[in-house]
Amino acid sequence: MNAPASNIKSVVTSGAVMVIGGGVAGVQAALDLSELGYKVYLVEKSGAIGGVMARLDKTFPTNDCSLCILAPKLVEAGRDSNIKILTKSELFSLEGGPGDFVARIKKQPRYIDEEICNGCGQCTLYCLKEIGDDYNEELKVTHAAHIDYAQAVPTSYHIDPKSCLQLNHQTCGLCAVVCRKNAIRFDDTEEILDLSVGAVVLAPGFGRISNDVLRHYGWGKFTDVLTAFEHERLMCASGPTGGEIVRISDHQHPKKIAFLQCIGSRDETCGNNYCSSVCCMYAIKQASLAREHDPEAEITLFYMDVRTHGKGFDAARERAIAENNFRVIYARPPQVEDVFDGGLLLTWVEDSGKHHYEKFDLVVLSQGLEAPEDAEQIARAAGIYLNRYQFAATDAYAPLVTSRPGVYVIGAFQGPKDIPDSVTQAGGVAGLCSGLLAAGRNSETMDAVLPEERDVAGEEARIGVFVCHCGINIGGIVNVPAVADYARTLPGVAYATDNLYSCSQDAQGQIVSIIKEHNLNRLVVSACTPRTHEPLFQTTMREAGLNRALFEMANIRDQCSWVHMNEKEAATDKAKDLVRMAVAKARTLTPLVEQELPVTPSALVVGGGLAGMTAALAIADQGFACTLVEKGKILGGRTMLLTRDRYGNDPRQMVKELIGKVKKHQKIKLLCEAELTAISGYVGNFTSTIDGPQGSTVINHGVVVIATGGKPHVPKKFGYGESDRVLTQIELEKRLDGKKPFPSDCRQIVMIQCVGSRGDDLAYCSRICCGQAVKNALRIKEISPQTQITILYRDMRTYGFMEDDYRRARAQGIIFTRFTPEAPPEVMVGKGKTGKPVVKVFDPILGDEVERRADLLILSTGIESEDPSSLARLLKVPVTSDKFYLEAHVKLRPVDLAVDGVFVCGLAHAPKSIDESIAQAQAAAGRACQPLAHGKITPEPIVSKVEPEKCIGCGACESFCPYKAITLYKDGKLRKARTITASCKGCGVCAARCPTLAIDMGRFTYDGIMAQVRAFNPQGDE
Amino acid sequence: MTNEYNPHILGFLCNWCCYTAADSAGVGRYQYPPNLRVIRIMCTGRLDPSFPLEGLVGGADGIFVGGCHPGECHYQDGNYHALVSASLVHEMLDRLGIVRERFLIDWASAAEGPNFVKIITAFTEQIRKLGPLGQAEKIDQRDLRRQLSEAAYAARGRKLRTGLINASREMMKSRDFSRPAIAALVKDKCGKVLQEISAGGSIGR
Repeated sequence: MNAPASNIKSVVTSGAVMVIGGGVAGVQAALDLSELGYKVYLVEKSGAIGGVMARLDKTFPTNDCSLCILAPKLVEAGRDSNIKILTKSELFSLEGGPGDFVARIKKQPRYIDEEICNGCGQCTLYCLKEIGDDYNEELKVTHAAHIDYAQAVPTSYHIDPKSCLQLNHQTCGLCAVVCRKNAIRFDDTEEILDLSVGAVVLAPGFGRISNDVLRHYGWGKFTDVLTAFEHERLMCASGPTGGEIVRISDHQHPKKIAFLQCIGSRDETCGNNYCSSVCCMYAIKQASLAREHDPEAEITLFYMDVRTHGKGFDAARERAIAENNFRVIYARPPQVEDVFDGGLLLTWVEDSGKHHYEKFDLVVLSQGLEAPEDAEQIARAAGIYLNRYQFAATDAYAPLVTSRPGVYVIGAFQGPKDIPDSVTQAGGVAGLCSGLLAAGRNSETMDAVLPEERDVAGEEARIGVFVCHCGINIGGIVNVPAVADYARTLPGVAYATDNLYSCSQDAQGQIVSIIKEHNLNRLVVSACTPRTHEPLFQTTMREAGLNRALFEMANIRDQCSWVHMNEKEAATDKAKDLVRMAVAKARTLTPLVEQELPVTPSALVVGGGLAGMTAALAIADQGFACTLVEKGKILGGRTMLLTRDRYGNDPRQMVKELIGKVKKHQKIKLLCEAELTAISGYVGNFTSTIDGPQGSTVINHGVVVIATGGKPHVPKKFGYGESDRVLTQIELEKRLDGKKPFPSDCRQIVMIQCVGSRGDDLAYCSRICCGQAVKNALRIKEISPQTQITILYRDMRTYGFMEDDYRRARAQGIIFTRFTPEAPPEVMVGKGKTGKPVVKVFDPILGDEVERRADLLILSTGIESEDPSSLARLLKVPVTSDKFYLEAHVKLRPVDLAVDGVFVCGLAHAPKSIDESIAQAQAAAGRACQPLAHGKITPEPIVSKVEPEKCIGCGACESFCPYKAITLYKDGKLRKARTITASCKGCGVCAARCPTLAIDMGRFTYDGIMAQVRAFNPQGDE
Repeated sequence: MTNEYNPHILGFLCNWCCYTAADSAGVGRYQYPPNLRVIRIMCTGRLDPSFPLEGLVGGADGIFVGGCHPGECHYQDGNYHALVSASLVHEMLDRLGIVRERFLIDWASAAEGPNFVKIITAFTEQIRKLGPLGQAEKIDQRDLRRQLSEAAYAARGRKLRTGLINASREMMKSRDFSRPAIAALVKDKCGKVLQEISAGGSIGR
């Protein structure tokens, strides 16, 4: 609507992208785009990036520390020279078209100069005007001059113009007096910025359920009715109570806690008919944390349906319920009342009609996700359409594309979703933008300039030790100050301190200045795991002019505080031991020379279904060659088994179009009836053998995407295979597409959910079957309105906007009967090939067993993965016990596998819907193209090194090296071994086998490990 | 609780499987005894046979080495080479009269946090039963540690390491990666050297 009339494709393609919204989705998109070679404007409405995830204490399903995993990303975005963060900014208008937009941004004044402010906090300390602390849900106060939260990026304070005394009444100005940097700017004004960008990504997140809805449940009236956001802040160490879950009214620990679900979701009275998708799981998380805080509390969760349909969610929920002794009640208490002698009264009705009432000390409202409050304004500014619930309108087959070309949407604004799905979409949108703007890649970026590395050779070790509290994750168990004190006594340690969060941006600044101030030459961080946080601290060291190999981590969280939660003293002792061992190793560390390796700029995609084809296309569109390997004769995969989606479109049509595009694309090489049989190499330089009808082909490529898909589970129960009248949903889909879908006498159809899934043959929830059953039931009603349909289910998991279908199905008279795993339905099938099934099930509403004679019995049978074992072995990547590929991090690296350069998407990752598969495939493509776009990689130089004087030329190393990375050469008459640095992956087999200990490994030296071994004994560490 | 013996256990975990499993056990809050101290190595193939021996010298009562499941080594066959080193360690423990269960090499994949917890819990219990080094052996601890130190010295020596090279070579040739087969290879290739060293009085009695 804003596009100018002369919308001729512009000659210039911009190399910049604007991302609106600095939550986890927006930040991830910005980081991914920067890695792909684009300049990013990250536009955030508030004073700091981080979004809702920064306010969370923990994340489900693993209860990992939220800020700990987010902070490194915020820091990375803050220090990336190609990401320009614009805070207090909003999109005002968007002119132009794809490749060539002009975005007008209104930037509100911060009143404190962001470039000068060093985050000392004096302004807050002296500010006279108290205001509610939004970050802490107003359960705490802050001041008009403030920072949003301690780890905020940018690490700069700002002044709230609505409450500042100076700005409103010219009566204070204390902050300007105390600010030593003279950063206060009372004359700061609104700025209008016109920025040229090639694409716009909308990631404004979600809005809050209105207070009217919350008041209905007593919030605002009774102090001990909390929203889940408030409860989350109470759980958090940096929250208003320092991590104590207490009643606001009397500061006592609640002994009886109730969680009410679906507050502002699945609720026609407030207009939010959809399911918010995340609340069932976050309630389980919050309940588990409440249990951790108080082993005695009685915890009750009230559910309509338990919708824990994500990967690993059911397992996490079951474990949480069993270990924590939660009471789960299927009911929806309509309101909260207070009673004269204190306490909060809940009343509810069971399925059977029985009434209950009970008093609770604390009620937590699991409020849902709404479209952002300013959704209409965003839509107007960006020129896009919204759906009926004010979320951005998108298509099932292009889930990230809005109604306006060149404008994309990710995260909760695209529909309620959790963090991994948001992060996935962020990766996907980066891939799509990179495809759209391939011609502009690297045109607006610049390389980061790092200070020269300081030569530390010959210096005595001066080690800095930073011990992290990680909020209460470590600090709640381990006596962190005592560990820091202890570290200070260790030989070689020149400085030791403790931090609340060592990974926050302000901590990075501190570390850099402390390294310089104390002339440190080694760094030990005692915190979480090096597997996730080492790169962050290594970059910080580099900024301080130290080689990144001079770093060591002591893992006192994942391998200490979290696993010894009930043994505080022993955990503290262990932390001291681990720090001592890390310091001992640090003393031996030496700088290592960096290596830079070229990248083969092409990809291999395994699997030619929806996900594989989408990924291949998204890679090829970015300008990189791609080989697509399909086992079968034809492309298309399992989507070809579906005949209609919930919007009434034929998915096969879309797949056919996709096949056409894939076959036509010049950058895609297609190999059908082919299989990957061997692979060697590493990210940037893989060599694969593919066996096909024309024999073996060997290809070189830089990355791999696994999209091997899944298949329908085949049940061996309920008469399946015995009678023609027992079908799976997939078989029903096919019939519904035919001329005569049912037998002529078809009056009664019964569907059974979770056949095979959720603890039956398959341990997990298959996610899509509830939606599929409802879709097919509605389709039957369309063809034959008089047919009676009964769906037997455990929990109807029609999450997100699928809830609309569920409500419609109920309105059309489809009967839904809940069964429990203890009393599953029983089926007897009549004799012969056309024998009619009789289904017996306990009906909780009638309180009795009912029998239904079904003319057709439809089984919702779930999804299995294609057996991943041989491919997983080939690629050396882990799979879960459910036989799906295990992502590198469930929250923040949902499409990366543990091996660099290998990615996963589609059903090979977990059961998911068409739109989710597409977004994930685009994400895999986006992530996979990062090393290709870079053109080079700089792997950590932890490679082997031969000392020629000691080497006797025996050749053992050469014969055992799995990568041919060490080889013999002639040195005069002698044979000597030499490492081929580019090929070495640092396993160390050569070092362990060298007869003369002539080979050593970078950072994992013999002396370093021996130092750790010796320091194991407190007396051994001299 | 007072005077209860708390085993000292040193672990070498490979970055890709067991160390990751240990991390995921933490994320999942699976609890296990607080006795293990971990040294991260990229691959169990890095395990020098002298490391576990030095660990025992330095005060450990039990040594754990954790890697990827056989066939799943991130570096193809590092864990098989680790089994070769481990066999030498076991052989030496036998010769010194040390209960061989004080040294364990086992596997947990990146996805197996609970399995890691099970292994460590059981191993800790086992060492607790054996007591401090020397107790179950009924040998003076200082004597044992001195002899272990000599054993570690020998494990750094060219003769024994050449034996290990030959054992690893044979193993790779035969592709038989079973523990008994590897133990037999190590016994065969290193036995003579071990004998010589023992005779010289520097290892065993």
